[in-house]
Amino acid sequence: MTGPVILLDGLTKHYGPHRALEHVDLTVEQGEVFGYLGPNGAGKTTTIRLLVGLLRPTAGRAQILGLDAWSDSVRIHARTGYVPGDAAFNDRLTGREVVAFFAGLRGRPADVATAGVLAERLDLDLDRRIRALSRGNRQKLAIVQAFMSEPDLLVLDEPTSGLDPIVQVEFQALLRSTVERGGTVLLSSHVLDEVQRTADRVGMIRAGRLVAVEQLEELRAKALHRVVARLAGPADPGAAARIPGVRNLAFEDGVLRCAVPEASLDPLVKVLARGTVSDLSVTEPDLEEMFLTFYTEPASDAA
Amino acid sequence: MLPSVIVRAARDQRRSILVWTAALVALVAMYAAVYPSLKGNATYSKLIDEMPKAYRALFSVASGADFTTGAGYLNTELMSFMGPLLVLLYAVGAGSGAVAGEEDRHTMDMVLANPIGRGSLVVGRYMVLAGGVIALMAVLWAALLTAGAAAGMGLPVGRSAAAVGHLGALGMLFGALAMLTGAATGRLGLSRAVAAFGAVAAYLLNGFGQLVGWIRPLRPLSPFYLYNGHDPLRTGFWMPGILVSLALTALMVTAAVWAFRRRDVVA
Repeated sequence: MTGPVILLDGLTKHYGPHRALEHVDLTVEQGEVFGYLGPNGAGKTTTIRLLVGLLRPTAGRAQILGLDAWSDSVRIHARTGYVPGDAAFNDRLTGREVVAFFAGLRGRPADVATAGVLAERLDLDLDRRIRALSRGNRQKLAIVQAFMSEPDLLVLDEPTSGLDPIVQVEFQALLRSTVERGGTVLLSSHVLDEVQRTADRVGMIRAGRLVAVEQLEELRAKALHRVVARLAGPADPGAAARIPGVRNLAFEDGVLRCAVPEASLDPLVKVLARGTVSDLSVTEPDLEEMFLTFYTEPASDAA
Repeated sequence: MLPSVIVRAARDQRRSILVWTAALVALVAMYAAVYPSLKGNATYSKLIDEMPKAYRALFSVASGADFTTGAGYLNTELMSFMGPLLVLLYAVGAGSGAVAGEEDRHTMDMVLANPIGRGSLVVGRYMVLAGGVIALMAVLWAALLTAGAAAGMGLPVGRSAAAVGHLGALGMLFGALAMLTGAATGRLGLSRAVAAFGAVAAYLLNGFGQLVGWIRPLRPLSPFYLYNGHDPLRTGFWMPGILVSLALTALMVTAAVWAFRRRDVVA
């Protein structure tokens, strides 16, 4: 395998007049965990369904492992695992029956044993009927069937939604061991927290366009932190306003509020420290604020 | 791989096949139980003969009811309406479930994410549908011969086989229509509706084709004509009817593969 594991080239999907995805270019290399971020309805799921060959591109192409995601989907699926955003199974079956069916479709009946081990790790009872499983347990089953064949590529659409924190930790461990054996992962999320523990790079999609692709570290550096400082005694908010990168500065009743990128935190604190600070809070940025950052920056910054 | 599709689908169909089999057997037993008391009863035949011809045409008795033989009785009572109804209910249910039903439950994504071609999925599931129809027909045949012997209907083995063979071909055809509609659109309700509407239209075309001059030339187009137009329970196999039915069925299964391979799986 020499080329990238995922190669999107001008990938476009329209549903009638609705432009779900517009000319997306992206490459994901082997061994990478790529976080695909965006608000609900931005086009994450459309991208993923194009990758899995469920949708046919309107224009452009999606290549996985050097094969075309639409026309070569059967060969691709032999080497990929998939967790859909809304995992549903024939609810008359037990988890074990589902897993056995999928292992049979893969021509790898021995994977059922691997599924048993995975289910144990995630605390999932494979012998219960799907009908009786909670949403979280169905999600676990989706994860089990995706990982059981130890695929070269995992395509995961909001994989940890509905999982409790302990299971999420176990899931992170599964992701790490996938990468350690040379696997590649693309996972989508609308919460940064879900990807920031594992992803190497993140892409941000908004209204069907990939607006940024960044190393996670760079993204954090760019992201705006929310600063609230209560200043006792005389203060000079004007000095804070002159620091490059400071945005949305407001000063009212002795409380200064602003949003700053990581690089501007230090000068800001130094400016504030000239006076008396009676209270200070710095909040890690959430995804919405990050989007605001990318949103308000000139288009030339977009990928 | 294809065998897994077939095994899974066969297990999923098991319950529905058992239900419809039981319904067919019960129906045959009921008609057989009533037969001895109707056989010598001229009033019943007369009653039917006095019904409007349009009504009689729909029950294959346009030319008059013949209840003096078991074959005539069963052809009117069982094979012209209730039998096809039960077989079609099974076949249309299985056909619409094969693709559209899975999409309706949002489970198609997971299945297709496995290394199985859409064509294999459609063909494998249709094979199970066809197997289900064959199983139903085998049981119906056995029930006809058993009940026929018990009630003294004197049904010939070969012609009974012809009747269930024609009926099976009818079921496979409408099952294929339901599956084709589902494969092309992914819509469960629509796939059932198209097959049901098609069956009713075909039924009426065959019935009115015996009565109304301008419809008569169209009657051979009806799958119900291919099925029962030559009265297989009394005259045996009519090969053109069987072959045209099967050819149409094969065409629709092929079209289902073609359509499903081209479209988005949205749900």
